[in-house]
This record gives sequence, C-alpha cells and structure tokens, in this order.
Amino acid sequence: MIYLDCAATTLQKPPAVVRAAAWAVGRLATPGRGGHPAAAQAAALAFRCREEAAALFGVADPERVIFTANATHALNIAIRSLVPPGGRVVLSGWEHNAVTRPLAALDAKVRIAATPLFRPQAALDAFRAAVEPGVDAVICTHVSNVFGYTLPVADIAALCRQRGVPLIVDAAQSAGCLPLDLDGWGAAFIAMPGHKGLYGPQGTGLLLCGRQVRTAPLLYGGTGSASASPEMPPFLPDRLEAGTHNMPGIAGLLQGLRFVRCMGTGRILAHERRLTAQAAGGLKRLSRVRVFSGPAQTGVLSFQIAGVDCEEAAARLGQMGIAVRAGLHCAPMAHESGGTFEEGTVRASFSAFNTQGEAARLVRCVARLTGR
Amino acid sequence: MVYYLILCRSLTYAQRTATALERAGITAYILRSPKRIAGEGCGYSVKIAERNLAAALLALRRAELTPKQVYLTAGDGSYREVLL
Repeated sequence: MIYLDCAATTLQKPPAVVRAAAWAVGRLATPGRGGHPAAAQAAALAFRCREEAAALFGVADPERVIFTANATHALNIAIRSLVPPGGRVVLSGWEHNAVTRPLAALDAKVRIAATPLFRPQAALDAFRAAVEPGVDAVICTHVSNVFGYTLPVADIAALCRQRGVPLIVDAAQSAGCLPLDLDGWGAAFIAMPGHKGLYGPQGTGLLLCGRQVRTAPLLYGGTGSASASPEMPPFLPDRLEAGTHNMPGIAGLLQGLRFVRCMGTGRILAHERRLTAQAAGGLKRLSRVRVFSGPAQTGVLSFQIAGVDCEEAAARLGQMGIAVRAGLHCAPMAHESGGTFEEGTVRASFSAFNTQGEAARLVRCVARLTGR
Repeated sequence: MVYYLILCRSLTYAQRTATALERAGITAYILRSPKRIAGEGCGYSVKIAERNLAAALLALRRAELTPKQVYLTAGDGSYREVLL
C-alpha cells in the first residue's frame, strides 16, 4: 500500500519510535507515582521528551510542555482556559472541528476572518479588521488540514500581541515541518498531535503553554503532587496532566521528536513540498481533475474529479493500493471557505517517508480513474 | 551523613533543578520528599551534599530556579529548615 493519509496520522514511523514504544511497555511506570526505579525511569524519559519539545518549539521552560492524548485534547484545554461561556472569539476560515465544536459547546460568539484560499496577506488583513479589544481569544490553524494552505501565523501573533488578545495556534499540520516559536510569537497556547508530523504513536499530543497564561484543567484527578489538596495543583505541567501518562506513547514521541530535530523541519518541508508540487503538476494535466494548489503549500493536497464522487474516488484509489482520505476531513468550515463543501475533496498528504515514485503512482492511478 | 534537600513544587521542577545543578558540576539526586516535610503531600526534592549548598543556590539563581524550601538532614529522621 502507498500511504498518503499523513495529515490524519503518519503510518510509517522511524524504527526507533516503534522500538521505544514497545520497550516502554513492561518497563516504565508512571512519572510522579513513586520513587522506585520504574517510576524514576519514566520520569526521566518524560522530562527528556519535554526538553526535546521545548527545544524544538521555542519554549524556555520544559514545564510548559504538556502531554495530551492528541491535538483535539490540547485544543480543548486551551479553549476552556481562555474562552468563557458565550465568549468572543476570532477564527480563520480554515478551522477544524477540534476548534469549532468546543466553541459551539461554549456557545461562543464566533467571528470569522474569512478570506480566499492561498491568500496569506488577505488573511492578515482580515484578522486586522476582526481582532478588537475585548476578544477573549484568536484561534488560528497554522496549516489547513484540507488544502495545505499556510496561514501567516507569525504575523497574526504579532497583531495579537499588539492588541493584547491571546492567541491559540492549531499546529496539527505544521508541527514537524514548519518552525514553531511559542515564546517568540508570544502565543498563549500551541496545540499539536504527536502522531502526525512528529512521528510519534497515536494517543500522543502536546500543548505548549505561554508564559503566565491562565490555564483551566479539563480533567481532574491524581497528579502525584500536592496530594493533600482537593484542588488541582496551580503549577504546570501537573495542573493539566491528571491521571496516568501514556508512557509507551511518550517514549515513542521522544524518538519522533529526535528524528524531526535530526532531519530538520526545513528539510522535511522541502521534501513534502517537492512531492506535493510533483503530484499537483501531474494531476493538473488530467482534463477532469481540479487541483487546489498555491504558494507556501505544505504536504497536503486536495483535488476533485469531475463526475466521480470523492468517496468513490478514494475507494477506487484504495483498491489500486493508494490510501487517501475523502469527504470533509472533519473541517466543514474549511470546505465552506474553499467552496468545496457540497462535493468534498480527495486529499493526498505526504510525509518524510513518501517518495517521488509514490507521487507519480498517485497521478497514474487518478489518470486511470478519469479514463485516460 | 549530612546532606541538604531542596524541596521543589513539582517533579518537573525537581528535574529542571537537578539538570541545572548537574550542568554546574554538582551531583544531584531526585527523590520523593519525606512525608513530614512535603507540606501538601507527595512532592519531590533534590538531594545534594552538604558542601555544595552555596554553589547550588548560586547555580539555581543563575538558572532562575527558586527552591520552595531547603532542609538540612543528617539521615537520622530529623529535618531542619534552612532559612535562605
């Protein structure tokens, strides 16, 4: 199988990730739950993972690196921390349900800084018009999970700093391939999965917390600290990490982070962009195929085939040995913004482990679907 | 043997503290805080040799790390808080 669904989860992992996760089972207990060697070893490994993430993402203190189950979990914590019921929020038009559903549950008043696809300057202008004093938070995806469109997050962060509005960045598609700089941006939170561009196992995610940011736990329970208190500890990371840690996941994530740091995000991005450009170029030459591509696109590529339902196209590609994802990609807002809500799209997404041969094979298979 | 315990607000803070001390050439061990000095219960401390306290406090100040409390113990079950 040629796996091109890396925007959902990267399936091919560095061998060290698989080895570390398997090694951790049966060897590592839980950090902060004892002084015995199995707990101490788990604590040391968790700390190394926090340090590795802190170094990669511009966080001065590893305490502000929080382990979560996934990016959705991290975003829920960030949103609950900053947005009160009925609060005011400004979003890009490219957000995932991991952002819009928690806001709906809070009955938040949402304003969308709507702009066309692949127009970062227009996006910045739209945020400039929408972000007013009194807004509880700005939430912006760094890269659209549907179109691979990169939003100008560093500039949006500067705008938020200037206007005193906290910023939450959804880095689900950018962590591991674009530079992230929590402290440099002055963002309140950056949320990311561990199992996509960081090449960790499923069940891992990270929430990076800004300096002095207000935090509200989503889960309450044991932390192995301040146990006599009925309340969650006021300090990070304990405040946001109730319950037993996913140590096999964290052990794998540590190796994934090391892989990314060793490869370099710039090199990974360049590779994914090469494959995206190759696939986009090939697909554009097919008469019935509409391709969504633009400047500064990452390794995520959407397309439609005229006369073929996107789900049917994905199923037929699956039969030909190519794994892609079709539909709305849990991001109906992005599809509305891109004008693809009614039909959906087929999405191919690449990782560091995909090859030019695989991108070429995708184009050939789509050509067969279009009857060429 | 006489040694000092640097009480930390969390395990991760204790790990940062120990890392900063090790970088300064001071041997540091993380351990669970003894129950009687743990305050709110279940805390972590960093253990250092008696001779290293002054250097340790200097290294922690440079790393912008603040000990919660420091205790002197002779390993006989007695703990005496050191006022900083």
